Amino acid sequence: MQAAIFSWEYPPRIVGQLADYLKDLAVQLVKNKVGVFVVTYHDYMTGLHDDPEGVKIYRVNNPVRTHIGVLTWVLTLNQEVERAASNIYYDVTKQIDLIDVHDWHFIPAAVTLKKALHIPFVYSAESLEDHRSHGANSPFNMAIRSIEWLGTYEAGKLLAKSDWMKDEISRIYRAPVEKIKVISPNSARWMKDILEAYRDVAGGATH
Amino acid sequence: MNQDLSVMMLTWEFPPRIIGGISPHVYYLSKSLARNGAKVYVVTCDFPGAPQHEVVDGVQVLRIDSYKNPSPDFATWVYLMNVNMQKEAAALVNSLGGKIDVFHAHDWLVATAGIGLKHVFRKPLFATMHSTEIGRRNGIHFDYEKMIHETEAWLTYEAWKVICCSDYMVSHVRWAFGLPEDKLVMVPNGVNTEVYAGHGEDLSEFRSKFALPEEKIVLFVGRLVYEKGVHVLVNAVPKVLEKANAKFIIVGNGYMKEQLSGLVKSMGLVHKVLFTGFVDDETLRKLQRCADVSVVPSLFEPFGIVALEAMAARSPVVVSDTGGLSEIVEHDISGVKVYVNNPDSLAWGINRILIDDGFANWLRTNAFKRVQEKYNWDKIGQQTSNIFRTVLNEYSKSFWAQKNEMAGSISSQKIDGDV
Repeated sequence: MQAAIFSWEYPPRIVGQLADYLKDLAVQLVKNKVGVFVVTYHDYMTGLHDDPEGVKIYRVNNPVRTHIGVLTWVLTLNQEVERAASNIYYDVTKQIDLIDVHDWHFIPAAVTLKKALHIPFVYSAESLEDHRSHGANSPFNMAIRSIEWLGTYEAGKLLAKSDWMKDEISRIYRAPVEKIKVISPNSARWMKDILEAYRDVAGGATH
Repeated sequence: MNQDLSVMMLTWEFPPRIIGGISPHVYYLSKSLARNGAKVYVVTCDFPGAPQHEVVDGVQVLRIDSYKNPSPDFATWVYLMNVNMQKEAAALVNSLGGKIDVFHAHDWLVATAGIGLKHVFRKPLFATMHSTEIGRRNGIHFDYEKMIHETEAWLTYEAWKVICCSDYMVSHVRWAFGLPEDKLVMVPNGVNTEVYAGHGEDLSEFRSKFALPEEKIVLFVGRLVYEKGVHVLVNAVPKVLEKANAKFIIVGNGYMKEQLSGLVKSMGLVHKVLFTGFVDDETLRKLQRCADVSVVPSLFEPFGIVALEAMAARSPVVVSDTGGLSEIVEHDISGVKVYVNNPDSLAWGINRILIDDGFANWLRTNAFKRVQEKYNWDKIGQQTSNIFRTVLNEYSKSFWAQKNEMAGSISSQKIDGDV
């Protein structure tokens, strides 16, 4: 199986808790014979790199250097994520079985790739805009929420790290509960459950 | 013929959604390509009352939801709209079995969708630059403008060819984004002469609503903004009236309207200058046909479609010698060129036509012929499809074309697998 992981943070770029978790996830997946491409952002370490543990990392930056906010920055950066994933698909693997998109940033790219190249995706929600913005209702927050909604709607499966998060996804975005799977990173079954979820979605069982 | 050519146009406006010049441009270009045998798909923003999907004279039109996402500002709305546009366009391309040969994006408003589709399907991208942020704003002053400028630069970088509608715009775009000369190609804008055909209709009653029978009509059509130079025309009025009896009709709205009508009042010319505001298409075309002179006194003009429309309506034109206008009009042959921002020069040009009917008719005849020869949509459609073909020939030798064939067989297996 070939999987692509989309995230706006991955070591050495660390913004929050996600970066280190994803490094662990990628290495464990490789150990379980999954080919892993991480597509992520870095300002200057761009291009495709192999790390010693066998994870392939494709870093992109934004061709538009000047921005008025995080939204315009993220939305334009999505095109580069899409381009990187297309390059992997056409030039390296000839196939990507699924994309695991972490948080809202690169959901637009995942959705286009699904529509264009039939690559299914899972949406792993680390946090939601409703919680980050404490329920603020400005057009800025609503725009981010509309992207999160698109992720819940188009994803083959939604991965949450706790039962609480599962309830929140279901409450805020009216996502069907059977679409949401809780996989705790602390559980002994963590990698087994991840692989099972990936196989379900890659096999087309849920999308 | 173009039976094997499939084109997907991306535009943020298409009739009945009309905001500026891109909408009619894409409308006539698409129809012309389709008439020529190409399969043309237009993906555009939705509009109240317009169907989500329709066929317009052989052109397949898909309107996408463009207001679903709330946005903090216009630019963010544009980028979010592009998310939806590329999602829907990608699904459409897939439903056609991937059979789209080229993507054609019009202005930065669809830049990210065009760039995305190019890479996921690995097909050539074309960009028509109708205008630029640096030209519109006369420089780049704020981050907001800089962001748009850089998005435009990115679109021209990703495009295989960049199309501009005048030699002036070719050199402007080349300068603005530092592009190599062979990436740029000039294809003029067009005008549809059919809609100005009079079919022997008598316009004297229509004309009498705007001017006395003994008054000649001097017409201005455009937004009432500084760069259109309407104030130059108003300042030229007394000098024109020294030699000819005329009524000045100013069609359009803009932020300078009050200032301009104040100026007219202070000059004691209220009985000679008529502000009509916006008028419907039919009224506008009749006015253009009635006009003894059509004036385009712009200070900045990338193309100058309004001059072409006047020429198609057989109205003699006076234009300021700048931008695209300099190319459209040949001085003393198809119109009169005057100095930019110079009321004396403008009055001189207007009077030459008003006091000499023979000269006016000479200009009319030549201008109409010129429009039919150079600015007709059939010819423009052919020029455009020739550009597509030339590039597709280059593309067929690229590694993208070969990889695409291999990957194509994989993805069709996957489609079968899904079913």
